[in-house]
Amino acid sequence: MIAAPLVSIEDLTVQFRTDRGWTTAIEGVSFDVAEGDCLGVVGESGSGKSVTALSMLRLHARGTSRFARGAVRYAGQDLLRAPERNLRKIRGRDIAMVFQDPMSSLNPVLSICDQISETLCLHQGMTRAGARQRAIELLDLVRIPDAARRVDEYPHRLSGGMRQRVMIAMAIACRPRLLIADEPTTALDVTIQAQILELLRDLRAELGMAVMLISHDLGVIAEFAKRVIVMYAGRIVEDAPVDVLFNAPRHPYTEGLMASMPALEGGTERLYAIPGRIPDPDEPIAGCRFGPRCAHIKPICQAAAPELVAIDATHRVRCTPRTRTSDMT
Amino acid sequence: MTELALDSGQAAVSPVLAPRRRFMALRRLVAHRSFQIGLCLVLVLAVAAIFAPFITGIDPSAMKVRLRFKPPSETFLFGSDSFGRDVLTRVLYGARVSLWIGLVVAMLSGLCGALIGVLAAQFRSLDALLMRLMDALMSFPAILLALGITAALGPRMESVIIALTVAYVPAGARIVRASALVVRELDYVQAARIAGASDLRIMLRHILPNSVSPLLVHMTFVFAYSILAEAALSFLGVGVQPPTPSWGNIIAEGRDYATEAWWVMLFPGLGISLAALGLNLLGDGLRDVLDPRLKAG
Repeated sequence: MIAAPLVSIEDLTVQFRTDRGWTTAIEGVSFDVAEGDCLGVVGESGSGKSVTALSMLRLHARGTSRFARGAVRYAGQDLLRAPERNLRKIRGRDIAMVFQDPMSSLNPVLSICDQISETLCLHQGMTRAGARQRAIELLDLVRIPDAARRVDEYPHRLSGGMRQRVMIAMAIACRPRLLIADEPTTALDVTIQAQILELLRDLRAELGMAVMLISHDLGVIAEFAKRVIVMYAGRIVEDAPVDVLFNAPRHPYTEGLMASMPALEGGTERLYAIPGRIPDPDEPIAGCRFGPRCAHIKPICQAAAPELVAIDATHRVRCTPRTRTSDMT
Repeated sequence: MTELALDSGQAAVSPVLAPRRRFMALRRLVAHRSFQIGLCLVLVLAVAAIFAPFITGIDPSAMKVRLRFKPPSETFLFGSDSFGRDVLTRVLYGARVSLWIGLVVAMLSGLCGALIGVLAAQFRSLDALLMRLMDALMSFPAILLALGITAALGPRMESVIIALTVAYVPAGARIVRASALVVRELDYVQAARIAGASDLRIMLRHILPNSVSPLLVHMTFVFAYSILAEAALSFLGVGVQPPTPSWGNIIAEGRDYATEAWWVMLFPGLGISLAALGLNLLGDGLRDVLDPRLKAG
């Protein structure tokens, strides 16, 4: 993180309209994605991972959501406030995204060729023939066998793994600088998960793009990411290099996550689960949002919500110093 | 790479086992019993209408006053009417008018309905305005609305078409809006937005093609309803005006002599019934094939 970051998210706060007024989905999310970065974002369902990703391209429905605070800085503009026309140029060309469910991510009435060509025609003004040729190359690149024939097929003919490859081909069509992969392997079975991760890793190296992988699966994150952001209840609770996070987590929530992973040599005892559940976004909690579930809670935790503090150049954690594990032991 | 091996294995056999989806739908449609019957009925009527001049060779307005009210015979297969005109010829020419009106109304109201429905689904700010307008139109019985519009525009074929189109647009718009609201939330629409597609492009290329199949079914029914409604309007005297024959006005003209010359009303009536039956069967078949809920697997 020496050079200027590719994308810089500052104090991002997103709210959604509900029957009871505006509910805060994520609050004060700040992080940078460097050029060629390999970032993992991990958290439970509802922790705000996807909301963060969608906000980076301003994809929330207008009217029912709002950006209360913050900025997403990319190439000298704030994507939260840039005109829609500028955003359309950035989407797909500079920042691309892959979704969780490959079964519903492809338009059933268009052929694979049409769908990959769409991005190419939109951003690079390619002709149909040129786009078709490029689509075949891209299918080759994501290792779809017999690409020249597959390119004219319709999505229903492809398996889940194949569709996810097509999604990735669409996403990298314009050689984006950042690929956001939102739970790209969750809907796939385990062997294919590994292949898709391997593919993403290879493509990242080949194309020199940054990848931001969102997952609730620590195994996937450990295998893929170099740096990990842990989210809890709409806030970043820890941000650290992957080996540091897995070997010496500093936030009790991260610790809990690590403890709840099944160990290979662990035998058959019950898996550890963090007690309690993720709080409702509207639930009033004094101080730290993780407080009610925290084993190390102190009165000071309830007095004021802790800030996300840098404890060294690459490690940030949102926890009161005294409740940190290192101080506990 | 087990998956790759499996997948290429599938690729080798699949062209034989699974033809492309659009052809599969077509094949299922062709195999559908009620669709077959419906299609035959509609085709027979359409062919009769299109080739009317070659089938009879008689002018539908040619009067032979001395041969009034002749019952069906060799000279007049369907009998003759109060002016001595050949009822068969008039029914055939009437089919041209009635089927044409039905077809055009189905197409126009389908087109407008699709546009309004997709617009309402895509631009949520337009939704309330457009849909309340549709609700307002829907609050009148279709035939009453059409009656009012034809009365205002003057009794011509064009006014019948406009009137029925206006009357049938709201239902189509609602159908398309309902399915477009579902489609717009699907991942591939979001994916298109992420790829940098504009609202218009998303609407026309991604949402519309995926929301029109229920409309297609609805359009076949609108086709049938329009034939019935045209008959009703012409019967009431605000539709297609004599001497141009339409199924409705032939029945209207035959009404006064219904007891002595039943054939004048019977044959155009049969035409209406068969067209409505055929189109409904056709629509049923389409619905069975296109409705994902009725699909097995």
